[in-house]
Amino acid sequence: MQSTRARTTVYYLILWLVAILFFLPVFWILMASFKTPNDILAVPPKFIFQPTLSNILDMLSRPNTVPYFINSLYLSITSVSLAIVVSFLAAYALSRYKFRATNFLMFLILSTRMVPAAAFVVPIFQMFNAFQWRNQFGVLMLYTMFSIPFSLWILKGFIDGVSTRYDETGFVNGASRLHVMFRVVLPQVRPGLIAAFIFNLIFVWNEFLLNFILGGPGTQMIPYALAVGLVSAGGNIDWAFVASLSTGYVLLPTIMIFLFQKYLLVGMTFGTVRGEV
Amino acid sequence: MLDIRVENLRKEFGSIVAVDDLTITFPAGSTTCLLGPSGCGKTTLMRMIAGLETPTRGEVYFGDRCVTKLSTRARNIGMVFQYPVVYRGSNVRENIELPLRAEKLSKAEIDRRIEEVVELLEMRHAVNASIEELDNGTRQKVAVARAVARRPQIILFDEPITNVDISSKLQLKRALKELVTRLKQTILYVTHDQTEAMTLADQIALMKDGRIVQYAPPRELYDRPNDVFGGWFLGNPGMNFIANFVDGNQPGAFLNPLFVRPLRLNGTAAGPLTLGVRPEHVRVYPDARPDAVRARVLGRAIVVGGQHLVTLQIADFVLKAKVAADVGRTLMQEAWVHLPLDRITLFGADGHKPDVALHYAVDHQSLHPTP
Repeated sequence: MQSTRARTTVYYLILWLVAILFFLPVFWILMASFKTPNDILAVPPKFIFQPTLSNILDMLSRPNTVPYFINSLYLSITSVSLAIVVSFLAAYALSRYKFRATNFLMFLILSTRMVPAAAFVVPIFQMFNAFQWRNQFGVLMLYTMFSIPFSLWILKGFIDGVSTRYDETGFVNGASRLHVMFRVVLPQVRPGLIAAFIFNLIFVWNEFLLNFILGGPGTQMIPYALAVGLVSAGGNIDWAFVASLSTGYVLLPTIMIFLFQKYLLVGMTFGTVRGEV
Repeated sequence: MLDIRVENLRKEFGSIVAVDDLTITFPAGSTTCLLGPSGCGKTTLMRMIAGLETPTRGEVYFGDRCVTKLSTRARNIGMVFQYPVVYRGSNVRENIELPLRAEKLSKAEIDRRIEEVVELLEMRHAVNASIEELDNGTRQKVAVARAVARRPQIILFDEPITNVDISSKLQLKRALKELVTRLKQTILYVTHDQTEAMTLADQIALMKDGRIVQYAPPRELYDRPNDVFGGWFLGNPGMNFIANFVDGNQPGAFLNPLFVRPLRLNGTAAGPLTLGVRPEHVRVYPDARPDAVRARVLGRAIVVGGQHLVTLQIADFVLKAKVAADVGRTLMQEAWVHLPLDRITLFGADGHKPDVALHYAVDHQSLHPTP
């Protein structure tokens, strides 16, 4: 009894230490966004300081900041939503109509995400140039496409877990296939939808390379703003700007993860560790 | 109300014949149980009637309408599956309501129907409960309610009680009995549990290897099985069988150690006949009687209902008999056994009941021949 408690204490102590260690840079950025530029780099670091909103106000007053936020929100939410719709339909089909080579097809779809972005950014750039897709629509489509494989895998795992008896009960109760899909099966896989949504939202939200190379004024998102605004006119790193923008930037994913963290694990395991969701 | 008729219905899965050229009518307004062991094709038959399985050949009719080509949805049926299919994340009412809403019924009508089924299934208290709170038995009731609330022409039950925990089994069975008696609907009920079939059915179709062995009311099926299989499958334990009891062509009187008086066959059949008698129809007495033969008691056990299951040996034959507790207790090493002729069934070598009957060689009638 005594030793179990001692072990638990040590266990949690280590967990807390590691967590704090990992959280320190985030904490530093968060603090920095409320410090004056002089306080930010003060040695020794200032833990007690007069908080100021001037960094955040300055950041928001820069001409492109608000459009960047809007682009980020618009592109990530729209593309992931589209991807979820497509993936749900595809996952239902792949789960219920078990035609040959389903598994191979699933592998092929996932394999599009096995290549690092740096490897395919040039061909994509050429393609998008040729299609004249280097605009908001093009980037939206690209993100949608890249959100589909993971969503499909997660949702197929979930739909496989819904017995075909559900479908059959729907049919014998006079339901159409669409009714079965959206009114019977869909509510059963809601955790999967949430997992797929968050998982891909974080991907799109953080995406920089493709956005930077393919995009234009209509598509630039916060990561682009961070990269571009990093160095101030004088050649110094503009810590105040970076810190305040980063604080705003991590807000959405943080809230999302906090609210839906139990679904995130499901997403990372492609719905294979389903438990009681 | 419609009857269900299948004609030459056949289903093959690869080389396995699940349903073997069945032709049968399940009458309107009554409950028919498809009873048989696992893998006898009863569920496949039901799924073909529901349209969830495409027959290899043959036709399904509801009334005069051929529905073989119709989709499940167009058949206007209700079906309850083995595993309670309920929609999680919604309450009981929403579960029952969902198909009704799809039919675009008025709010008042939906309310009326829900009212009706929850009343019928005695689950008023649970109407607003969330599905997660319910045990499997109640969930299955929800599934039943959902099927019934649509007022389909035909209701199909596919072993609805099998996966319900023991404690709620009896309660659900009682609720279903109440339901089928009050609905007076065309109901088809698949089960492998004979007591379920006996309780619920107006008639039972006993199935084996994709065929219907016997189609009769429960009592008749139990008392007069026309096949060895029916004798063996029904009852707990099933019939006693005495193989090679008599040659089917035996013209004259014969004696058998199981009977005190000589017997005679009325009619002839090919090959040796097997005698079948149910354990509860074997009469056992603790003392000698003129119409009973002496038997040695090999063993006894107490079974459901406090009855005693006695194993008896008469000459080379071993019989099981179910006797009342008070008789069972008094039995020592010896007992006297009488097999009533009207409780005995003879089976031919092919397992079917031939057209012969067993009589005493000298019976009351032949002593006093009618003029």
